[in-house]
Parts: sequence; C-alpha cells; structure tokens
Amino acid sequence: MKNWQQGRQARDARIEAGAKLAKGKIVEARDATRLMEAVIRPGDRVCLEGDNQKQADLLCRALLAVDLARVNGLHMVQSGIVLPEHLDLFDRGVAKRLDYAYSGPQSARIARMLFGGKIELGAVHTYLELFARYFIDLTPQVALIAAVSADRDGNLYTGPNTEDTPTVVEATAFKNGVVIAQVNEIVDKVPRVDIPADRVQFVVEADKPFFVEPLFTRDPGAITEGQILTAMLAIKAIYARYGVQRLNHGIGFSTAAIELLLPTYGERLGLKGKVASHFALNPHPALIPAIESGWVEQIHCFGSEVGMDDYIRARSDVFFTGPDGSLRSNRAFCQTAGLYACDMFIGSTLQIDLQGNSSTVTTSRIAGFGGAPNMGADARGRRHPSAPWLQAGGEADPDSSALLRRGRKLVVQIGETFGEKNVPLFVEKLDAIELAEKLKLDLAPVMIYGDDVTHIVTEEGVANLLLCRDANEREQAIRGVAGYTDVGRNRDRKMVQHLRERGVIRRPEDLGIDPLDADRSMLAARSIKDLVRWSGGLYAPPSQFRNW
Amino acid sequence: MSVTDLEKPSVEQARATSFYEASARARIRLLLDPASFVEFIGPEQREVSPHLKLFDLPEQFDDGIIVGRGSLAGSPVFIAAQEGRFMGGAFGEVHGAKLTGLLRAAKELKSIPVLILFDTGGVRLQEANAGELAIAEIMRAVIEARTAGVKVIGLIGGRSGCYGGGGLIAGCCSALAVSEQGRIAVSGPEVIETNRGVEEFDSRDRALVWRTMGGKHRRLIGGAELFADDTVQAFREAALELLETTAGFGIDTLNAEQSRLEDRLQRFGACRDAVEIWAAEGVADAASVPALPADQFIELADKVRRIARDAR
Repeated sequence: MKNWQQGRQARDARIEAGAKLAKGKIVEARDATRLMEAVIRPGDRVCLEGDNQKQADLLCRALLAVDLARVNGLHMVQSGIVLPEHLDLFDRGVAKRLDYAYSGPQSARIARMLFGGKIELGAVHTYLELFARYFIDLTPQVALIAAVSADRDGNLYTGPNTEDTPTVVEATAFKNGVVIAQVNEIVDKVPRVDIPADRVQFVVEADKPFFVEPLFTRDPGAITEGQILTAMLAIKAIYARYGVQRLNHGIGFSTAAIELLLPTYGERLGLKGKVASHFALNPHPALIPAIESGWVEQIHCFGSEVGMDDYIRARSDVFFTGPDGSLRSNRAFCQTAGLYACDMFIGSTLQIDLQGNSSTVTTSRIAGFGGAPNMGADARGRRHPSAPWLQAGGEADPDSSALLRRGRKLVVQIGETFGEKNVPLFVEKLDAIELAEKLKLDLAPVMIYGDDVTHIVTEEGVANLLLCRDANEREQAIRGVAGYTDVGRNRDRKMVQHLRERGVIRRPEDLGIDPLDADRSMLAARSIKDLVRWSGGLYAPPSQFRNW
Repeated sequence: MSVTDLEKPSVEQARATSFYEASARARIRLLLDPASFVEFIGPEQREVSPHLKLFDLPEQFDDGIIVGRGSLAGSPVFIAAQEGRFMGGAFGEVHGAKLTGLLRAAKELKSIPVLILFDTGGVRLQEANAGELAIAEIMRAVIEARTAGVKVIGLIGGRSGCYGGGGLIAGCCSALAVSEQGRIAVSGPEVIETNRGVEEFDSRDRALVWRTMGGKHRRLIGGAELFADDTVQAFREAALELLETTAGFGIDTLNAEQSRLEDRLQRFGACRDAVEIWAAEGVADAASVPALPADQFIELADKVRRIARDAR
C-alpha cells in the first residue's frame, strides 16, 4: 500500500536529528552549523530569510560553514539576496539553484555569477509571485527565519519588521517543513505572538541583533529643486486631477519631495483631506510632516524603518500596531493591498523606452523586481469601483459603455530627464533587453510594462498616456516630456504641439506652475533634524543620517 | 523666489535663509548691508581655471570663489565666499589667487577687516600643486594682514565644511564663528578611515563625524570663538560681534595660543570620544549636546567655556 505520510516522516526524522543538539527547542549559537547539517538534506529547497530589510544573518553564516559532504546543491527560495554571504553560498557550492525577487545591494555580483554559471537561475519574481509559488511549486523543506525574541516554547515576536516571516512559516510549517528561528533574545514572555510556537521547531539565540538596513530614509537635505518641480507637477496634474486618496509611493527622492510638499504646497492648493490619505507604504520618515499636519489617515506597512519605532508606537491611529504597541508589518498583505486596494502607484525608475516600458536593470546589474511591479500594475481581477479608477478608465476608453468599462490604476513614473551622473532617463532600447539576450533569458526584466503606465512626469511636463489613441501618439507623448535627451530631441514637434493642445502633454505653465517657484524653502522639512523636530523627538534617525 | 526679492534683501530674509543651504552669492548678499557688495574679478571676466579643461571638467566663471568689498553695519569690509557646490569649494590656482589678492589688499590698507566664508573640502586634486601653493600663500597673507592690524574673521557653516588646507587657513584667522552644520578639520572622515582603518574612524557614522569635527565640538573645545545658528542673519551678527571683540595680534597672542593648545592636549589627550571631552569640560549631560537647539547650546557653551580672548 502506498505510504501517504512520507513527508511527515521525513520531517520527524529531521527534527529528531536536530533535537540531539537542542535543549527543548533551544540550540546554542555555536551549534548552529551542526544543526544545519542535521536538519538539511542535499538538494533541499531552503528559504533563508533574506527580506527587503531584516536578515537571518547568523543562520546564513551557519549554513555557509556546513560540511559540503553533508549539505550541498540546495535550492534557495528567498525574496531578498541582500548579504554578500547569500551569494557566498553559491560560490562555495552549498547552494546551486536560486529563485528570488530582489537583490539591490548584490545586483552587480549576482549578474557576474549568473554570467559565470555559478548560479542556476529559476526566475526573478515580484514578491507576490514568489510568495504565491511558496504554496504551489516552491514550498520550502526548511525555513531559516529571524525574529526579535522567543519564549522557551518557541513563540516568536518578530518586532516591527515582521515582513515575510508569517508567509514563509505558513508555507513551510504546514507542508511538512522545519522552521529554525534566530532570535536576538530568549525571554520568559514575548511582547506579542507573531508566530505561534507549534510552527517553530528550533530557536537559536544570536550574539548580536539581526541586521536591518535603513532602506527608506531619504535625507530632505539632498532633495533638488528639479525634484521639487516634478513633485509639484505630479501633485497638481495627478493627485488633484484624480483625487487620489489610496496610494503607494516609491522610495526615490521625487516621491520624498511629494511627501514633504503635501503640508505646504498641497495645503495651499486646498487638497488636504482630498488626496493622499490612505497608504500601502513603509514608514517613510519623510511622511512625518504630512502625518503631523493631519493629512494621513492610515498606513499599512510592508516592513518597518530603522528609527521609526517610537514614532509609530505613538501614532497607532495611523499605523497597524499590535496589542504591545509596536508596528505589525506584513509584506504579503501589504503587497496585496498595493495591488488591489490602491488607485495609484508613483515611483522613479532608471530607464524608460518609447513604449513606456521601464527598467532598473543595467547591463551589469540585476536588482530584481521587489514589489514595484505589484504596485505598478493594473489588477485585472479588481472589481470595486472608486472615483480615480473610474476616471482613469474613462480617459483611456471614452466611447465604451460606462457599466462595462474597466477602471484603470494610475501608474506614474516620475523623474528628471537626466538622472544621476547625467544619465538620460529615456532610451530607445532598454539595457534589460541586451541583458536578456546575453543571459539567454526568456523574458527581459521589465519593471513596469508600458501598457500599465498611465503618466510620465519630468521637469518638462506631464504626459498622460491614457489619452493617447495609438502607439505613435504614445511615443510622441513620451518624447514630448523627454527634454534634451536624444529621445526628446528626436520628437515630432508638430505632433507634440498637437498633443499639448489636446492636454495629453501639460507643461508647467499649462498647469499654472512657475518653475522658479520650485525652491527648497517649500519643503516642510529640509533636513533629517527637521524631521526629528516634526516628530516631537520620537523619530530617532540612525547614525549615518545624522549631521549633529 | 521672485526677482523683487532678489533686489531687496532684508533682515527677515536673512533670518529665514539657511546659511548651509544658501549659495555663496546669496550668503554675501544677505550677510552684508543691502546692495553694498562690489565684486572684484567677477564672473563676467571669465577668469577660469587653466587646469580643469585638461580633465574635461566643467569650469565656473568665478572659479568657485567670490571676492569683493561691501559694508557691514555701515563699516567697510572685504569679503570672500567659497561656493561649496562647485568642486566641493576646493582651492585651485585662480580660486586661491583671488583670496590671496584680497588679503594682500587688506594688508596694504591696514584698516579694513576681511570676512572669509569658508565652504571647502581642501585642495582641488586636479590642480594639486597649484592648490597647495595657494594654501601656503593664503596662510602667509592672513598672517601678514593680521600683523598689519587687519582682523580676518572666518565664518563656517557650508555644505562642504572647512577641510584640508581650508582648515589650516581657518586656524590662522583672528577668530571663527561656526554653526552646527559647519565642520572644521584637516583630514576628512573618509581620508582618516582610508589611512587608519574603520576601527579608528568610521566615516559612515555621521554622528561620530559631527561630534568630532562639527561646530558644537569646535566651540566647546575652543577651536571656534562663536557658535551661530544656521541662518545668514546669525552669521552676520556673529561677524559683527567678532569684529567688535577680537583683540590685536602679536607675539603675546601666539604665545597664548601655544599654551592654550598645550593645555588642551594635556587635559583631553587621553579622551577616546568628544563626549568624554565635553564631560571633562563640565557639561552635566554631555550625551545630550548633539540634540540641543542652538539657543540652548549657546547658553551652555557660554557657561562652560569662556572665550579665550588673548589666544589665537
């Protein structure tokens, strides 16, 4: 008779092997590598918690040190490739195959290793896709996760950076997998239970807190007048025009400028209460002045941000917090919220082509997708109406029956025509295509597809692609805001003029904006210290952002 | 900012303008009496660096420094302001010569003080030899001007701080005023880290950088006479006060300065961190110093450390 319990028996054997090193569930940090050797089998699918922010760094180093005769050829399934050790695993042969979503800090090395054949790549995903595949065809046999504290039974408190943990544990623990957690400390009682003990088999107390990168802190001191101008254009031409209340912001300086202009410029335009009140967003420090001025009703977070803990705790009317008072973030839920419950995504990118496709890939870097494509995509499964969504749908397809017409999510790309180091934002051909050809990928890594993009904002103006009726109009609308880049200089002037008359392209003067008004004095905060002041001393910026 | 604002600087505007954020030209315009500034060798003369084009680098028509004369509360002053946003305010051949010339003119006239608004990372690498020579010439010119009875006041609060040769020149001035954002040192954070290792100095730890080189520390340790809030008006008032209070210059001044520095080394030489120095200076809650608002810090600094008028 067929054995229908093989997975469970295999898991029990793994736990039994590991238990020899544990007291109850607790394993000493010095035994962490032996625990890996006991529990993990060659070729296993392993989720090593590398999130956007928090990192199971101790478990990663422990895994890196295993005896290759016992553990090798692993298939890593993790959202973030962030630490150098994540790639050392492949260099050493501990791991062989990789499915991931984001690799910001390691983007250059991961590209080199893919070219060199050191990594067998499954696919680069968006967060939601990878999470979805945890439950279908990439379910981990072992999950190595990070939490702030554990009690002796193994109940875990993840702290404000809950991030991916509940999703990873759900997929692993309920499908015959083993969950090993590293914690900063073992306590008698955890502040709140984020992961119940019966889903956790082993707990390792780390000698130092897990690594968290402050990814979402933008120093207002570095915001330029060009970025302020694009922010003003976006507020007037998009936020005000559509009355966007539910939205997600990218992490660039242009959107930081928007956050800092809401209480000043936005207030003057009378937009308070009418726009930007509900966010799917990490706790951006730059949003503090808008929150303090009463603009923001609520924010659900993917993760937390270093230094924001006390502020969030004191503003529980705005943030999602546990009974203990600290932030509860959740990447999977927040990504879903961004996809289905937001009417707008606005963010920056590195390259935009003539169809409006955008990419953050350059020929030597593969940064992955993270969450932007989930935010910056029209959700075809969406059915609930909202005014901005219906208005955008109407602009795209004015002649069809309103009752049968889909709405459209506003997907806005914002940036200066020449970005950092004067590299043009607009290109004839994305570097992503060249990369795909070199690596023989089936798909070029496009961050946001042109057919999802509705608006492009540069210092030259706003292009409303919803109003374009064919590919040629679309191309000229993009060229028409591409400034002095080659793409911009090759515009058809007559056609661009015609598009401007139709309101497809709107220049600053068409919107009543004087570019000379784009001055840093308009920012509600001009330095990190100003943000601390706005927060009443509750925001504690990390050392690298302080100039005092 | 509209054109009419540009034409009519006012005290309110000087109060509302961050010295740190303002351009070198805006600093001069708001610091001096309205419409009193006359520029020497202005951008229209296009006296640009002869070296930068060899490196295919952009030039600036004023080579990143503005020099001229004007009045402060009705009295004549010479003024020089470095533009920290052009090549980090670094000294090159032309840049340095403009400041040397200004100081030599002051020496000749004997009675008109000089304000130097430092905003510099040091010497321009692309014209290193010329830049290093310029630093030496400027230091000599400062000392010669002071010997002739001219007060040379340094004002430090720009984006690039006051580093490298700029730090050496500042050390030669009659008196300095600094804001929290201003930093005064010779080797910059990255240079120290590169040469001595991250354990010695972590340049990414900005709080460490500021409490080691920042304005508050320089004021508490006696390296700067006055602490100014980050507004152009506060620097104007600091300049006026320093012109009023700074004593003459002679061998006694140098002896006093020497003993001040010896005393400093003896008292604080073993300290591992600025916070220890502040505590040794009698600051009750030393760890709270970085977060103190300007007015409270000035009050504290005045209590803790009297300005050593005889030194410099």
